Amino acid sequence: MSFVVEATGLGKQFGRRWALRDCSLAIPAGRVVGLVGPNGAGKTTLLHLAVGLLAPTSGSIRVLGASPADGPEQLGRVGFVAQDTPVYPRLSVAQHLRMGAWLNPSWDSRIAGSRIRQLGLDPGQRAGTLSGGQRAQLALTLAIAKRPECLILDEPVATLDPLARREFLRSLMETVAAHGISVVLSSHLTAELERVCDYLVVLVASRVQVAGDVSELLSSHHRLSGARREAGSLPASQVVIEESHTDKQSTFLVRTSDPVHDPAWTVRPVTLDDLVIAYMSRSAGGPEGALRPQLKVMS
Amino acid sequence: MIRFAWLQLRVQVRTALAALLAFGVVLMVTGPHLASLYGASGISACHGGACGTAASRFLSRLAITSPYPIVYVLGIGLILAAPVIVGVFWGAPLIARELENRTFALAWTQSITRTRWLVVKLALTGLVAMAVTEALSVSYAWWADPISKAIGLQGPYPVAPEFGGDRLSLVIFASHGITPLGYAAFGFALGTATGAIIRRAVPAMAVTLAIFAAAQIAMPLWVRPHLIPPDRTVASGPSFVESAGVNLGNLTAAIVPGQPGAWIISSGAISAAGQPVDTVPAACVPPPPAKPPDPGRCLGNRGIREAITYQPASRYWSLQWIETGIFLALALALAGFCFWWLRRGRT
Repeated sequence: MSFVVEATGLGKQFGRRWALRDCSLAIPAGRVVGLVGPNGAGKTTLLHLAVGLLAPTSGSIRVLGASPADGPEQLGRVGFVAQDTPVYPRLSVAQHLRMGAWLNPSWDSRIAGSRIRQLGLDPGQRAGTLSGGQRAQLALTLAIAKRPECLILDEPVATLDPLARREFLRSLMETVAAHGISVVLSSHLTAELERVCDYLVVLVASRVQVAGDVSELLSSHHRLSGARREAGSLPASQVVIEESHTDKQSTFLVRTSDPVHDPAWTVRPVTLDDLVIAYMSRSAGGPEGALRPQLKVMS
Repeated sequence: MIRFAWLQLRVQVRTALAALLAFGVVLMVTGPHLASLYGASGISACHGGACGTAASRFLSRLAITSPYPIVYVLGIGLILAAPVIVGVFWGAPLIARELENRTFALAWTQSITRTRWLVVKLALTGLVAMAVTEALSVSYAWWADPISKAIGLQGPYPVAPEFGGDRLSLVIFASHGITPLGYAAFGFALGTATGAIIRRAVPAMAVTLAIFAAAQIAMPLWVRPHLIPPDRTVASGPSFVESAGVNLGNLTAAIVPGQPGAWIISSGAISAAGQPVDTVPAACVPPPPAKPPDPGRCLGNRGIREAITYQPASRYWSLQWIETGIFLALALALAGFCFWWLRRGRT
């Protein structure tokens, strides 16, 4: 399996604060990967390290098998849309496209032009006067028209209204379908991720809590509820991710590859949202013992 | 990348050219008349001592002829201000604005390395800044040429302080010749480096202004006098009187005898025994109604001499080259710092 992003013991320190510490992960190529985690998990730092805007303090990171931003060729292989989709406010839409053409040898002006037309953007309009959604679309156009092998997006839709969010993700998916590029997308909006991602990585405090194919993750996790009992009484094949108890009842979110046959349980499927929240809250307070071996399985 | 850097620089260049053009029109309109006044003054055809008289007459008349004193001072002001403007408005935002608006994430993820991005930005903006400053300085030198010539001829005591001193005096030195080029390069590189460190354009502008002003004060006061070891002389007898001239009251030298246009760095009276003399001895300024003796001769008779350190006028171009070289070297060092700073990857 080839990887878009491979990190080993990756760390980045700002002054005395570690924004990312000892992070190891491998994100497979050819997928649309959602990178989720709470604020401060190190998502932005990780993505900036991946596109070479930052240099690691420790460890190493490879993107498409090469060192990030290692020369113009590697820069051309990776498209990046940064958080809040910055553009030059005083330059027009057309000038942004010209910038893309001048600075990228692989620039495809047909893609850029047709996208701008489809979006109904006025080429003469200054980027500073675009709406948030239009600005994000412009930034995405710049990243796509350079014909990258992989596209890295940092919270691209976080500040957009629901309609603009849907439009943005739809045009992202069209591109993926048309050009077959790998996508890594960070977000904390799991509902959006469910719609576009086929692979999920949950990152909390620099650690991968869970990573895997979305449909596999959904089919291997179950919510069990029934008469109160302790987590220790569950079979060894069921890993407890989250548990809650009332006086009479217990609810568990478990991961297991085996079907659950115990008639004492009411078994319900989980949503991606349940899954993400369970893994995030587990790392916040729960036992950490089961994490390490699981990480090895995933990568 | 050059085309993109130019796209981002266009607005600033347009503003600078408009200002340059406006000032150029003023120079073009007033220049020919200034030249004709100079032609009519008889300086160009003079011989010996008549030259000083003609030059003094020309300058004292010019000093009350509008608009020449104003244009003269305005020109010097513009030339001194250009490097500051370049540093504050072109240099400081160059990196700081990219970091502040977060557009660095756009600029540095195109298929072009950050080093190349910075090379082109620095070279293009820096060269345009130097060219604009030099155009200003050259056109002004053309306009002010009659005044500069007359100042050189007018003799030791300036008749028109409006026009400043001779070529080595502080403001004239800094606004003529090649020094504005060095200042422009330095101001621009200083602004860029400050912006990279501070990461916010407006505070970076303020800090650039403060550091540049400090450099412009420190240079003439403490550095320029020693760029070449200054000459020393001791004026005694008649040359003491000549040297002390109008400054007899405080016993400092006004001119260096035999060295017209020299830049006096320090001077002070010393007694026959070699001790510094701070005040004029009472015997040489007896209280009224006694008739005061000729103070210069009185001091000279007591063996009091004037010790002077100075830079002769002949070192003008050497000093210009050295000072410009220093500022260009500082500019290169600051530019090098910017590369190192960006490559550290601490955006």
